[in-house]
Amino acid sequence: MLLVISFLVYLGLELAPGDAVSHMISPELASTITAEQLNAMREAYGLNQSFLTRYWLWLTSMIQGDMGYSMAGGVAISEIMAKTIPATLELSIVALIFSTIIGCSLGVISALKRGSGTDNSLTVAGMAGVSIPEFFFGLVAILLFAIELRWLPVGGRLLPHYETVWDRIPNIVLPSMVLALMMTAGAMRYARSSMLDVLSREFITTARSKGMPEWRINILHGFRVALTPVVVLIGFRLPLLIGGSTIIEQVYQWPGIGSMFIRSVRASDYPLVMTISLMYVFVVLTASLVIDILTALIDPRVRLGKE
Amino acid sequence: MSDKNDIALSVRNLKTFFYTNNRCNKAVNGVSFDVKKGKTLCIVGESGCGKSVTAATIMQLLPTLSRIEEGEIIFQKDDKKINIEKLEKNGKEMRSIRGSDIAMIFQDPMTALNPVYTVGFQISENLKYHTNLNKKQIREKCISLLSDMGIPLPEKRVDEYPHSYSGGMRQRAMIAMAMACNPKILIADEPTTALDVTIQAQIFELMDRLKKENDTAIILITHDMGVVAELADNVAVMYMGNIVEAGTADDVLRRPTHPYTKALLESVPVLGRGKDQEINPIKGSTPDPYNRPVGCQFAPRCNWKTESCDVMPEIEQINETHQIRCHKYEQFFESYNGKRDT
Repeated sequence: MLLVISFLVYLGLELAPGDAVSHMISPELASTITAEQLNAMREAYGLNQSFLTRYWLWLTSMIQGDMGYSMAGGVAISEIMAKTIPATLELSIVALIFSTIIGCSLGVISALKRGSGTDNSLTVAGMAGVSIPEFFFGLVAILLFAIELRWLPVGGRLLPHYETVWDRIPNIVLPSMVLALMMTAGAMRYARSSMLDVLSREFITTARSKGMPEWRINILHGFRVALTPVVVLIGFRLPLLIGGSTIIEQVYQWPGIGSMFIRSVRASDYPLVMTISLMYVFVVLTASLVIDILTALIDPRVRLGKE
Repeated sequence: MSDKNDIALSVRNLKTFFYTNNRCNKAVNGVSFDVKKGKTLCIVGESGCGKSVTAATIMQLLPTLSRIEEGEIIFQKDDKKINIEKLEKNGKEMRSIRGSDIAMIFQDPMTALNPVYTVGFQISENLKYHTNLNKKQIREKCISLLSDMGIPLPEKRVDEYPHSYSGGMRQRAMIAMAMACNPKILIADEPTTALDVTIQAQIFELMDRLKKENDTAIILITHDMGVVAELADNVAVMYMGNIVEAGTADDVLRRPTHPYTKALLESVPVLGRGKDQEINPIKGSTPDPYNRPVGCQFAPRCNWKTESCDVMPEIEQINETHQIRCHKYEQFFESYNGKRDT
């Protein structure tokens, strides 16, 4: 799987116009530089070799754990990753936690108060959340909270004068909230319908016939069963979260992998693009594994082959 | 009449209506009956006649679009009389009765158990809310309940999930759950419809044993006349939200006096008479609940219909136990049975 995708990405990069060298040269220089000089540069970077040879070289070194160097800056890619991954993880995890908790609870509330004003307004908000693109929310949020109200910083992650973890919280609030928004809306819609489905099942009546209080019926018997499909959905949406973080990181100047990815694609920085896209693929594959494990934990019917 | 103290639950002129799309479905329209301690009352009738709604009304487990319109449900709790219809639907008092004094078994054991909890956990919930037992005692009680129900290896089975139980075992687990707090009344809403015949017999045997051991009153809802003949002490026949005939099992099954009861009994095929036997299904189908006939509800399908049937007949007492709601019952009864001897 990883192999196929890596090849396709490499092919895509090859087909894209321009190469790393043409991006390295500033426009002023481009008018004076000679064709020989350009070719020499290409040779120095190994770009004159055939596509398949380059792919093979890259692949073998990758398997050996050597991610290579960025063509744009000459920095080791492992170093770039070490700097950017924590930033993106921080953002995504905060967003994931928020969207899951808020999405599920709003969905459950919505289902329990079905047909009421609360339910209707949440439904409308959910639709809006799903359909309006994130960068728009991002910009609106900057305008409102950072520029008009001045509650929160416009962007960035770490500033030199920050000492404790608490100093960093204001910076993460806006980007993580905006990133969480779309996931929240989706989780909410899904939690609502799943919950409604479960509440109409017969075992809810059984639970009620045992004389238990409503909250216990709704949470223990209702939500617990409704949770399984919601977890699966959230898992499948993880790629969306990553895709979203690419955009949000741009909007908020968040020094994460997403913004690094965009920069590297613009610069045709093969090694960096390859490493990052492989990492994305890896995350998606891991996510589906994690979902499988989680579903088995939540739903005993999935636990098969256990004696 | 029998001793008043024997009565565990008494329903008087109960009316439960459903409201959908601005229309009113009078699902239960003036039902009265008594359930005696340690006796089984069978409520029989076609689909949609209001049997299950009656049961749900007693438990106050009605869906939101319906409500108790009129009537009384009097539950005899020790020496106190409790009017169930006056209690708040999911209030504390109603909840303390539900599951401990009045318990219910549902039609389909496949869907009535929560798939994500162990059977033991689901039985223990009942005990947790209605008894003061501690965790260890609850667990022991769960195991002993399961073994009472004839489930093999209860110590192991108690920690298993419903999906590893067979249909019959699930229904046993349901009964274990219902019997956990020794209820005074057990309502069984077609408990064996989803099970095959051999399991049916086992389940009914089990219920009968529990009734005798614990003096539990059972309300058994069914449309299986064979089951009625087997288990019932008393029978109430319902049609379109009314009881049309009620009495002891002997009264109703041996001397059916309402044309509908008679027709129900005649429409049951008898084992051993072969495939060519004549069975007489009731002609026509149940009327649209939104467009009821005036007067006797059965009149449009009845061979004995006369003009007087345009007025709803009142319940009449034939003898001490036997009640009938029909204008023509005397002529009808004589027509196939000669003069009544009682």
